[in-house]
Amino acid sequence: MIEVQNLTKRYPTQVAVEDVSFSVREGEIVGFLGPNAAGKTTTMRVLTGFLPPTAGTARIAGHDIVTQSRRARSRLGYLPESAALYPEMRVREYLAFRARLEEVPAREVHARVEEVVESCLLAEVANRKIENLSKGYRQRTALAGALVHRPPVLILDEPTVGLDPAQIIKIREMIRTLGRERAVLLSTHILPEVDAVCDRVLIIDRGRIVAEGTPGELRARLAGKPVVRSAFRGSVTAAREELARLPGVVAVEVVEDGLETRARLECEANGDPREEIFHLAVSKGWILRELALDVGSLEDVFVRLTRHEEPTAAAPQEPAALEPAEPPAPAPEAPEAS
Amino acid sequence: MRKFLAIVGREWRAYFLSPLAWVILAAFLLLNGYVFTVILAVLNEPGAPKDQALLYLFANGFTSWFTLFLVPVIAMRLFPEERRSGTIEVLLTSPVTEAEVVLGKFAGALGFYLTLWAPSLIYVWILRSHARIDLGPVASAYVGIALLGGYFVSVGTFASTLTKNQIVAAILTFALLVPIFSVGLLDYLIRDPKTREGLSYLNMWVHLEEFARGIVDTRRLVYYVSATAFFLFLATASLAAKKETP
Repeated sequence: MIEVQNLTKRYPTQVAVEDVSFSVREGEIVGFLGPNAAGKTTTMRVLTGFLPPTAGTARIAGHDIVTQSRRARSRLGYLPESAALYPEMRVREYLAFRARLEEVPAREVHARVEEVVESCLLAEVANRKIENLSKGYRQRTALAGALVHRPPVLILDEPTVGLDPAQIIKIREMIRTLGRERAVLLSTHILPEVDAVCDRVLIIDRGRIVAEGTPGELRARLAGKPVVRSAFRGSVTAAREELARLPGVVAVEVVEDGLETRARLECEANGDPREEIFHLAVSKGWILRELALDVGSLEDVFVRLTRHEEPTAAAPQEPAALEPAEPPAPAPEAPEAS
Repeated sequence: MRKFLAIVGREWRAYFLSPLAWVILAAFLLLNGYVFTVILAVLNEPGAPKDQALLYLFANGFTSWFTLFLVPVIAMRLFPEERRSGTIEVLLTSPVTEAEVVLGKFAGALGFYLTLWAPSLIYVWILRSHARIDLGPVASAYVGIALLGGYFVSVGTFASTLTKNQIVAAILTFALLVPIFSVGLLDYLIRDPKTREGLSYLNMWVHLEEFARGIVDTRRLVYYVSATAFFLFLATASLAAKKETP
């Protein structure tokens, strides 16, 4: 539904998007992930016809964004950054305006407005002025505005920015539901969002796509080697030697403090020597206190791909692997400066 | 067409949802009311030319100058407000053309300007019950008011596409309107007959007076309509050009 080919957008002083190609199929939610000012918003503005591309092209539902701009625009619903709305209008009034603007037939306007009021859970504020609404309701009003003409393609620029956790969960649920029968492209710099919502991820950095795949694939491909952490009671002097002999183990580090011996095993890709470690411990009579496999978080992938200060070869294995493999904490939701 | 009307309607209503509109409306009514009482005082003088009474309601210096200040304030919010709130993105990514957006906003602002004049119909009705009023010149006077308003609002629409700042838009509009309005007034200062004749085509004071007398001159129609179209074209081009920069 969205096909982007070699899209480039240059400003007089800088290149915002460089030779970007990707596609989004129907029924697929694609996350557009990147640090601030990486080119996410610019790409979306080009796709929605708000900015003309410098080179390359894109098709929305088969319509070229340059030569068939109006048709392409009529097939997409766009939620701009920071939910732009007319503060003086009432919710229903605004949605009816959007419906007329999006060529919804006059007879259907009322029904469509009620439809999105219901699906976006806006019933209790539908007659209120937009300026008096909370941020969460505003975001949902803007989303309802993007849905009122039932577009097959949805482009959402940071749909959850500035919302509280409960609202974020609601919006994500809505997006997942919407994504079942539409092509959805959503941008974010919040990593758990990608894991929670997206079928596929595009990581963009400095205007280029640096990685693409499902969240699982990216983790597997780019998060580095799996690491197994284990701990044994007391001082186990033979641990280093014995563990290093296990199949699939590349490197072993052992730390001992008299009470406990902690080992960190770096393994080959897809290597998982946990069961072997258990058998080894049993046969040697070591008392196993801890055994865990870290598969690297998407956060590691992201940090590695978008880090510019250091060469990627010196990837942050050490800190990433020593942290427990819990879901990454939400990134601070700083508004994107672009 | 429906999309155009949706934009016009939203724009026109938006005026009445802001306090500014009511301040403008109140000031305008106050001014018109004052002019009307002056007219009544003149009419009460013995031997006053009663048939010319309405001329002064439309063609007086007050009205022209007030319009000159009024239009920049009416037009200044058209595009800067959309840019500030980001709704310009919603508008331009829906399946409408830039021309539809410009025309819709222009028509909404012109509609508000004409709404300001609507209460003056009461004065016509009052005068009519006390004196014989020919409705022909009244109608043509309103045509003149609408044409002048359309021209000025189109200049304001253009100026508002150039900036994100409402105050800058208002000042810019005023700076454009003052020469447009006053170049015709040089008519009174210049001796050279050829130049004077040329300038008289641009003398809006005279135009308004003509319209108020019931004279609808096609040269005036062509001047106002084509000048309006020119500035709306500039506004559309400026809006399209602005797309190149974020």
